[in-house]
Amino acid sequence: MGSSVQKAIELIFSADPELLNILSTTARVSLTSSILALLLGVPLGILYGAGRFPGRKTLLILNRTLMGMPPVVCGLLFYMLFSGVGPFRHLKLLFTVKLMILAQVVLITPIVVGTMETFVADTAPELRETAKGLGFGRGKRFRLLVNECVYPIFSAYLLAFARAIAEVGAVAMVGGAIAWKTNVMTTAIMMYTNRGSFTLGIALGLILLTLSLIVNVALSLMQGRLSR
Amino acid sequence: MKTTAFTKTYNKRAVLSLPEMELPDGQITAVVGPNGSGKSTFAKILAGIEPADGKKKILSGVSVGYLPQKSFAFRMSTEKNILQNGNDPARAAELMRALGIEPLAKQRAKKLSGGETARMALCRILMGRYDLLILDEPTAAMDMESTLAAEELIRETCSEQGCATLLITHSIQQARRLAERAIVLHRGELVETGTAEQVLNEPRQELTKRFLEYYGV
Repeated sequence: MGSSVQKAIELIFSADPELLNILSTTARVSLTSSILALLLGVPLGILYGAGRFPGRKTLLILNRTLMGMPPVVCGLLFYMLFSGVGPFRHLKLLFTVKLMILAQVVLITPIVVGTMETFVADTAPELRETAKGLGFGRGKRFRLLVNECVYPIFSAYLLAFARAIAEVGAVAMVGGAIAWKTNVMTTAIMMYTNRGSFTLGIALGLILLTLSLIVNVALSLMQGRLSR
Repeated sequence: MKTTAFTKTYNKRAVLSLPEMELPDGQITAVVGPNGSGKSTFAKILAGIEPADGKKKILSGVSVGYLPQKSFAFRMSTEKNILQNGNDPARAAELMRALGIEPLAKQRAKKLSGGETARMALCRILMGRYDLLILDEPTAAMDMESTLAAEELIRETCSEQGCATLLITHSIQQARRLAERAIVLHRGELVETGTAEQVLNEPRQELTKRFLEYYGV
């Protein structure tokens, strides 16, 4: 065990081509999917939190359900849609990075929506009352609301990124964990562990844990600023 | 200016039913009454924050400024909060000085205490020019010194701008110090209205007398 960890640390600092390829694929998938989820989720979260429209409660329940959706279920859904018998088979996206990103967007957008909705629902009524009382129009009220949301947006992004980078079920099913093509950190850990090759798995695990630590420290700092 | 008669119903329960009322320009009208009498709902409806039944228009062609009971600070400095309601730094500095928050001008407004936030919010609303200024318990979170300074500022603004001012307050003493007119509400209905001196010193209605007695006045 001790020697495996030592070898893994050596591997991290040796710039191993396969390790670098896995890291770059992971970064591409996680960063793209989390940014897309943010672009979709922030406006939706603000709309759900501040808006009052018919069907809002149903949409909130649906979003909360999607927040808890198991990644393998998401993977299964996309597999069925894009596999040889699925309606979107002609797009030939199965086992590509593009479909992995798409599956992760579906998986993590509800997290961004939920985080934003909770904050906005709490803040918007007081802000609206104050801003309307000052005679501000809709445009200025919206700008002030977005200004209030700066830290929750960062917080939602970090949560989305953390979920994306640690997710394995959906990316494994739709990406197929193909070496040098769709293998990301989590799927590679599984693959190499199954082969009995622990060194690369431990190296990737250490990197994942370090990233998780960085994200959590950043989140704690955000929460600290938010509570002030 | 005159408000039209209106009603307000929540979940089929009438919470407010008020006749036409006069709010004279350049004068402060105090609205007093026990908890749940509908003072804040009255203020919110006049300010257009909440609609009256049937979305009836209560005031027309009138600009209204409204300071809610709970002060809210936008995520920016104290000074920038105040300048949101008028780009006049000299006036903002004058208001902050009057309420003793000038040293906090560059501080993040979210970090202010409750009393400081209330003072900042009062400065912010007083930056604007309105036909009707509605202040819902503006000094509830302030200490005595700040309260007296705030009252002075409210009095000055009202008389300089000539706006009608509606002051929602729990404090009979404050109503006596500041207001020219008074409105007494009880369970969503108008009990008595008239000059502050008459209503708060020689009330005609039994409910007003009981209310004043309760507050030891």
